[in-house]
Amino acid sequence: MPPLLAEVTQLVVNGVMAGTILAVPAIGLTAIYAVLRFPNFAVASHATIGAFAGYVANVKFGWPILPSVVVAFLAAGAVGVVTDETVLRRFRPAGFITTAIASIALTIALENIVRFSFGNDLRGYALPIERDWRVGSIRIGPQQVQNLMIVLVAMAALFGFLSFTRTGKAMRAVADNPMLASIKGIHADMISRLVNFVGMGLAGLGGMLIGLDTTIDPLTGFRSILSVFAAAVVGGLGSIPGAVLGALTVGVGEELCLLFLSPDYRSVVGFVAILLVLTLRPRGILGQRAY
Amino acid sequence: MTNIRMSISRRGFVKAAGALAVAGLAPAIVRGQGAPMQLGILTPLTGAGGFDGPRMAKAMTAVMDEVNAAGGLLGRKVELVIEDDETNPEAAVRAARKLIDVTKVPVIMGTWASAVTSAVAPLCWESKTFLTTVSGADSITKLPHQGYLIRTQPNNHLQAAKHAEFIAALGVKRCFIMSIQAPFSQPTQERASEVLKQKGSEMVGGLIYDKDKTTYRSEVDQALKTKPDLIYLNGYAPDVTILLRDLYRAGYTGPRFAQSYAVTSKVLEALPAEVTEGVITVQPSADVGSPAYDLAKKRLGIAEPDSYESQATDWASLVALAIAKAKLATGTGMRDNVRKISQGSGSKVYSAVEGLQLLAQGKDINYEGASGPCDFTDIGDILDCKFRYNKVHAGKLAFLKVT
Repeated sequence: MPPLLAEVTQLVVNGVMAGTILAVPAIGLTAIYAVLRFPNFAVASHATIGAFAGYVANVKFGWPILPSVVVAFLAAGAVGVVTDETVLRRFRPAGFITTAIASIALTIALENIVRFSFGNDLRGYALPIERDWRVGSIRIGPQQVQNLMIVLVAMAALFGFLSFTRTGKAMRAVADNPMLASIKGIHADMISRLVNFVGMGLAGLGGMLIGLDTTIDPLTGFRSILSVFAAAVVGGLGSIPGAVLGALTVGVGEELCLLFLSPDYRSVVGFVAILLVLTLRPRGILGQRAY
Repeated sequence: MTNIRMSISRRGFVKAAGALAVAGLAPAIVRGQGAPMQLGILTPLTGAGGFDGPRMAKAMTAVMDEVNAAGGLLGRKVELVIEDDETNPEAAVRAARKLIDVTKVPVIMGTWASAVTSAVAPLCWESKTFLTTVSGADSITKLPHQGYLIRTQPNNHLQAAKHAEFIAALGVKRCFIMSIQAPFSQPTQERASEVLKQKGSEMVGGLIYDKDKTTYRSEVDQALKTKPDLIYLNGYAPDVTILLRDLYRAGYTGPRFAQSYAVTSKVLEALPAEVTEGVITVQPSADVGSPAYDLAKKRLGIAEPDSYESQATDWASLVALAIAKAKLATGTGMRDNVRKISQGSGSKVYSAVEGLQLLAQGKDINYEGASGPCDFTDIGDILDCKFRYNKVHAGKLAFLKVT
């Protein structure tokens, strides 16, 4: 393979890996937006909560990674429902901006609760680290392939849920037209709890996947929230396939920019993508249709 | 139980106020008769620096206790007035104002965080108060402080040079540096490249990475393309952890070099041992083995005073000697005399008391400290200091050398 082609391929592979992990919390953010119509920045702290819940299961109780990932999803989802019921729900009548700002306050509060409980230190999962596989001149990480698999299974489950179950269809109905859904007798509160559970659960799952690849600390979620937000906006805030496409665009874009730019400009790519997409297609690549 | 009612009559109050006013108006009379000489300590007793501040205050107190036991300074006992800067610039400014305006100290010793020192320094030079600090940011000694500031901590420029000398001495011919996006990154890369070149080695490349990324695979690929003998990881713990993992995954087996604050014992716990095996860490060190360091050990009653305790020992000693040399307890006196007692061809002395005796005999002295030689540039930076190197083995830091 010619060197430039090999380099581009490697960057695309790296970008797809990074993008798929980014896609999980981005789906959470966008799903909540689709139903409740506000960007819930508390996704950041729920990613951290998921990462720590998975850490407790994996390191303290010695569970393998896969059940720990499920714990991360369930714990973050449950916290998501509780925080929405007790905090954010009260802000919703005050409008979009107020609720979004309240979600930022909530995320800082939750992050500090994690800090208070676990301290500021870096922590790692009980997971052996493996050298990368080499396919020709391209290298691929076994851990990242495993993460990719987890992401694909989670996405398939989500799409299956939304397409084939009655509750999933009800969720899409509320996202598409809340008024019509209510006339049809769909219980909006139940749907909002469910979307919070699924959305924040995915954020928690994403947080743990980030941690599996790196280490975790109370800022794990906060560090990624801008890229997650960028992914959701680029794909079309409110569109679940859009979040996946947006995450891949941001992930691959951030890597490919290294061909021309110094690595310290990597984060700029996500935001240039937001500016471009919002200028050319204000509703994002796939628009705002939930599914 | 008895209630005690305190009552102050109007006449009594007037008398007391009058007495205070007279005392305030006649400081020369009161102080000239052997009132204690008050010197200021402003150090973090709480906040991020709360681990180092109290130990630094203790080290300074120990030196001044020795000075007092030997007869004090200029015939007066020394009294240290200790304030907490809370590792917070705003609290530090308030405390410094109190020390300067109310207590009227000629010197403030002990600021730790660079943000605190940057906030307090202007108050000091404007009021001609001398300031001694441990803050490392290059910008601090570049402030227009007119000589009213010295620091014993190596600045970034000196650290980068020393790191490069060490790397070249390892026999490394091709070094690559990966730095976090931070104010120190570019200057460190430039200075380290310069020194490596002088020492017959080469910086084959460098990059500055974005700090909040979850993976640095592509950055690692860029580094490995240059086929380095050693990779210098110039970042903080969260990102250096990811870099170490990604380097391991990429199959890199060569040496890695990092600041000790980036590869802490907690980082070693969080990472599998095979990922960190062989990593070399560096930190500024006290001048272990020097006579002043041995004296500090005895004075403090601890086996290994660290760099901060050693630097605090040196501030108190330098201040005492500069006051004695100037025969005047003023900030300007210290500014004009500190280099006369800390460097040059005078007799080498290793403690304040030893220096005070020679100064009393009219001899020239050169104080050699517990933290290093304490020789200062015109802008108040130290010219040289020691560094401690550790190497990770089986997930633990093992002592390599101090040089």
